[in-house]
Amino acid sequence: MKKLIILILIIGFGHTIYGQNYNDFDTDSTKTEAFKPSKSQFMIRGYGHTGLNSVTSDGETESSYVGSAFAPIFLFKHSDRLLFEAELEFVLEGNELEVGLEYANVMYVLNKNMTVRAGKFLLPFGTFMERLHPAWINRLPTKPLGFGHDGIAPSSGIGVELRGAFDLGGPKLNYSVYSTNGPRIKDGSVEPEEAGMLQFQNYEDNNNSKAFGGRIGLLPFADSSTEIGFSTYSTNKVGATDSQYENVGAFLYAFDFAFVKQFSGFGVIDIKGQYNNSKVDDATYTELDEFGNPEEYTFNNESNSFYTQLSYRPTTSESDFMKKLEFVGRYSNYNAPADAEWSGESEQYAFGLNYWLTWRSVIKVAYQTTDSVGGHDGGGTANGFFVHWAIGF
Amino acid sequence: MKTIHKILIKGATLIAVVAIVVSCSSTKDTYVNATDVEEFKMEKSGAQMWGEACNRCHLAPSPADYNDTDWETIGLHMRIRANLTEKEITKIEAFLKSAN
Repeated sequence: MKKLIILILIIGFGHTIYGQNYNDFDTDSTKTEAFKPSKSQFMIRGYGHTGLNSVTSDGETESSYVGSAFAPIFLFKHSDRLLFEAELEFVLEGNELEVGLEYANVMYVLNKNMTVRAGKFLLPFGTFMERLHPAWINRLPTKPLGFGHDGIAPSSGIGVELRGAFDLGGPKLNYSVYSTNGPRIKDGSVEPEEAGMLQFQNYEDNNNSKAFGGRIGLLPFADSSTEIGFSTYSTNKVGATDSQYENVGAFLYAFDFAFVKQFSGFGVIDIKGQYNNSKVDDATYTELDEFGNPEEYTFNNESNSFYTQLSYRPTTSESDFMKKLEFVGRYSNYNAPADAEWSGESEQYAFGLNYWLTWRSVIKVAYQTTDSVGGHDGGGTANGFFVHWAIGF
Repeated sequence: MKTIHKILIKGATLIAVVAIVVSCSSTKDTYVNATDVEEFKMEKSGAQMWGEACNRCHLAPSPADYNDTDWETIGLHMRIRANLTEKEITKIEAFLKSAN
């Protein structure tokens, strides 16, 4: 028995001599070497917003809490040159959750003046959709006319892009050239009242002709306060292969302008603007006359839209409350082709008062009035009152 | 429209070629003594660039909201999204890291 106890004691205490010492604090790397993060990093950013909309149209008022949107942005930095980005959008539409992929692309910095990216990306057609549309950046709760659903400005595309910027010793020049799958034309077979409209959200191309586009932006002053830009977007074919619309082409262009400057003793003035123009080749469409017989028609398929926005933040005020306020005014209009089924003219004024809780969290209160002639809902005046809270993270 | 499309493709190709040539051209063999020139330059600080570049779209971020590693990822993302120059993002990133 004694021998057994001695043997157990020898094994019990003696095994530590040969045991590994993973937890030996003398060799703990954190003691001898500073913590070094890896070059690879995964990060989730994004934004969300919610609010109350109250819109009065034709004497009827609709009021509801809306805009429960959550848009996470996934960033994976593989190295100092390689980055993957993707943005999802979760939105409640009619009590159902809709999930959208805003963009998902990989980018590689080729050199100090050039980056290539491929996948689905926001198109630099002007600046609004690429840079300014997120709810925590957009100074008003709504988009200007001409953007978003049924807008004429393309927002994203699947393809490849070269972009970059040059420092001209004070002034700066930035550029972007890209090729994407391109838009499709709505031929009216599904929605006759939308015949001739372009549809930009295409995961697969309907022909072998790709769309090409680009933007050049110039910041002429050394303080980067002013930027003027010109964008184009063109495609030879917007119709499906072997369809009667196969050889219908489209050409779009946009001018954008931005002026942001802090004036000492006054505050920050922020002016933005963009003009969009879309021209689609003439084509023949079919509609039903009053007796239900098919009737062919064509029209000059040219649309345009414009917006300009002015905002002011009294950042030099002595009052902390005033410093966090922002006053916003925006004018926008949209002119659809005169002889199209979806012809119409709209004009909109929006005024807002924002309170910035932090640099990325804002409460927006806005009033908006829109006058329309024609269009989907036959025109009229719609007045809206909005209270929204947006946060970037 | 086909003519415009052809012109646009040629224009886009031209811009791409010029951008590639200029961006890939080396300046290592320049005969200008860069250090002499630097003495007379009024260089902007990273803080100044942070105020100018970020405010073009959104309010300038608080440096304290992210750590150094986060700022590197955000810096790379914003460099591409906002088409910032290498000098701008390098200085802005250095400022954000130093001030957080």
